[in-house]
Amino acid sequence: MNERKVSAPEKIAPEKIAQEKIDQENFERALDRVQKAPRYTGGEMNTSVKPWNKDLLRFGFCFPDTYEVGMSHLGLKLLYGLINREPWSLCERFFMPWTDMIAEMKARRIPLLSMESRHPMKEFDVVGFTLQYEMSYTNILAMLDMGGIPLENRERGEADPIVVAGGPCAFNPEPLAPFIDAFMIGDGEDVLLELNQVIQDRKKTGESRRACLKKLARLPGVYVPDLYAVAYNEDGTVRAVEPMAPEAPARILRRFVTDLDAAYYPEEIPVPYTEVIFDRIMLEIMRGCTRGCRFCQAGMLYRPVRERSLPRLADLAEKLVRSTGYEEISLSSLSSGDYSCLPELIRELMRRLKDKRVSISLPSLRLDSVLKESLEETQQVKKTSLTFAPEAGTQRLRDVINKGVTEADLLEKCRDAFEGGWSSVKLYFMEGLPTETDQDLAGIADLARKVVAEYFGVPKPRRAKGLRVSVSVSTFVPKPFTPFQWEAQDPIPTIQAKQSLLKKLLNMKGVQFNWHEPYLSFLEACFARGDRRLGAVLKRAWEKGCILDGWSETFRFDLWMEAFRECGLDPAFYANRVRPKDEVLPWDHIDSGISKAFLWREREKAARAEVTRDCRQGCNGCGLQKLKGVCAWAGANAAGAAEAGSAETGGDAGAAKGGAEKCE
Amino acid sequence: MRMMAVFEKSERIRHIGHLDIQRSVQRGLRRSGLPVAYSNGFHPHILISFASALSTGAAGKREIMDVTLAEPVTADRFLDAMNRAMPPVLRLLEAHPLADRAPALMTLVRAAVYDLRIDGEEEARRILGAIPAALARRELRAMRKTKTKLEEIDIRPLILGLNIPAAPAAPAAGETPAAPAAWENPADPAAGDPPAAPHLRAVLTLTETTSCKPGMLMEALSREAGLAEVPRFVTTRLALLGEDAAGRLIPLEKAAAES
Repeated sequence: MNERKVSAPEKIAPEKIAQEKIDQENFERALDRVQKAPRYTGGEMNTSVKPWNKDLLRFGFCFPDTYEVGMSHLGLKLLYGLINREPWSLCERFFMPWTDMIAEMKARRIPLLSMESRHPMKEFDVVGFTLQYEMSYTNILAMLDMGGIPLENRERGEADPIVVAGGPCAFNPEPLAPFIDAFMIGDGEDVLLELNQVIQDRKKTGESRRACLKKLARLPGVYVPDLYAVAYNEDGTVRAVEPMAPEAPARILRRFVTDLDAAYYPEEIPVPYTEVIFDRIMLEIMRGCTRGCRFCQAGMLYRPVRERSLPRLADLAEKLVRSTGYEEISLSSLSSGDYSCLPELIRELMRRLKDKRVSISLPSLRLDSVLKESLEETQQVKKTSLTFAPEAGTQRLRDVINKGVTEADLLEKCRDAFEGGWSSVKLYFMEGLPTETDQDLAGIADLARKVVAEYFGVPKPRRAKGLRVSVSVSTFVPKPFTPFQWEAQDPIPTIQAKQSLLKKLLNMKGVQFNWHEPYLSFLEACFARGDRRLGAVLKRAWEKGCILDGWSETFRFDLWMEAFRECGLDPAFYANRVRPKDEVLPWDHIDSGISKAFLWREREKAARAEVTRDCRQGCNGCGLQKLKGVCAWAGANAAGAAEAGSAETGGDAGAAKGGAEKCE
Repeated sequence: MRMMAVFEKSERIRHIGHLDIQRSVQRGLRRSGLPVAYSNGFHPHILISFASALSTGAAGKREIMDVTLAEPVTADRFLDAMNRAMPPVLRLLEAHPLADRAPALMTLVRAAVYDLRIDGEEEARRILGAIPAALARRELRAMRKTKTKLEEIDIRPLILGLNIPAAPAAPAAGETPAAPAAWENPADPAAGDPPAAPHLRAVLTLTETTSCKPGMLMEALSREAGLAEVPRFVTTRLALLGEDAAGRLIPLEKAAAES
């Protein structure tokens, strides 16, 4: 049961063994008293337990949410495999325990332990957090604290682990700046190993923590916040963020992985015993999106679009099915319908995997690019539910957000789906988008009504029973590096009024309306576009007991408001204020490759409800065209070239690169 | 063909429930590349059954499953392929081909051997000390919880053996009215366990219709010992037992082979 004792080559003092035995036994007792103990047991298939060898670089991969959330995350599995593949490093996982387990651990003085070898966090060389969601930030503090690591980077000593972070939220690292030693910006596959190498070297040279951090700051794509000073204007806005050491670059350009086929992808991934949220193989078929939806941060941060080739994907799929035994594969990307060889890929996967009884699902299906043919093929194995994201209720507002989806399109797809035997459709919308009126909200209900009508339009014998149209409406959160980064979020009372209106409008048969209280979105808006001063609010909130904020049963909005008050900061300053064009944004020193001028141009087009074409139809000059060899579509059919009628000619640019030949 | 396999659910994963273990074994079978058979119907599943569901929280040293294969496979190949496809904490110990017409394993189970590790020295001492008095009673009441009801039953006839391995303070084996045959077979002598956490070993009836769960035994013994509540204990099921032609308890895998 205790793998470590078998494999550890190093000598351990007898008193330490005794202590460890007590800890393990104590841990087992804690497990007997908590709900969902399997969250903490480990020992899953394809988890790696390397000898606990001091010569190895020991990386603690921390997911700042529960096991079920973390184990549903592709990035964790990818980076876990990447680090463990290197003979000189090992990676073990940490998750945020639930409140009952936290209480047990505190009472028993058990520190946060890794899932694999059950070592305390502070015995790792690097502790790395993935930042997927702003409302997981207090969990980071809680995990560091339970791990016995000083919270603030300035308090850490020579023997403490280097605390790093990456992921989409690292693009505005400022609210976490006091707690993280180094952020990695952009695609992680290369920079993570480079960072590990620098930290591994330090173990040999014995150089100081400070010297090591300065070396890290020299790595492209790495931001060491403690080497930068932030100055503020009298009105509280940022005046400047300036490097204080020669090693620290003035702007940190994000990292790009340009060739996904050459990039690492795991061929075996951990398989949890219990069901997690996404309990299946996730095959990342491409990264990035060419659509340019103006609210979408991922669509900007993951630019440009890069595809994995069909042969590589088919090979990976086969290997992953063999190594995991999973029954389902989902094709994962921001916009899977845009994959250039989608029908060919689906056909090939089905051909190779049919005997293995594996079903294939397309999670983020785009309305306008789904082929009826491939729909029919998917259901040959198993029927999965259909999801559409029109995001806004009227064509005008969809044009504002540049969501190139038409009502006719959506209804046609729904009709096809109902005729193909589906009876359950999920529709995703947002409320609080810039320029939104009650008319746009009414449009959401109209659309739902029309979808219902499509279902009843299919003759009874031909349609599946039990219509279920689920309409989920989330609250718009303006995000950095999007054309809406300057916009205000609706104040809470406005959101509430809109939600009551929607509740009334969507009260119809066959339709289920899903919505959430706006408080969490409000805080998300604060931290998404927050500055470094929010670090103090974060710490204060955590001290007051805020953890697991993303979970309604543990979320304490009142404590958060107290924390803001005590720190002398107004959350509305961050969430509900329209920011002027010339304001220095707290994340301006992070370079996403997308130019601020492009984002502003997009914002102005949004105000005019003017759409921007898909990058595959021609380059829109987002800024990536200035970086050599990064975007395959850069400059194609470029700026100023007649936007009208570019659909056909521009399509060739994509076809040439996406390659009809690759679809063979 | 049918293959019977003996496997271990190790202590590390004792909190994983039966359905999750079942799914993990099914995925292991899919990983193994063995020619598993699927059921017919709209949602085909791998044909596999377990002799007895093991409770969440309990480890199992010799649990038994029965897998249907689409074509013949040797026991060695089965064992080898599965152990390459399973995590170390859920490994197979033995495989035995089973006649297609052999009855379902769950119908052959008669009893199970348990190791109960009691937490707390004082509690353990008192519970072990209460064994002779408990066994001397003609009736021993305990609560049985089923999906639909909670009822009190007499577990005295369901206790087939009870003693304390490797503990000198234990009552002599003669004082327990256990069927002595039960002690000749259990696979694991549990030698070398730390003396700090005393163990109680029990052979308890386990059939499709009647069974005594370890918790019921502990409830009765705790009451006998005058304890206010049942102390924490960790259950390890050491073996599943069937019976031979003469009605003597023997390991289930042997009973299945004989049937």
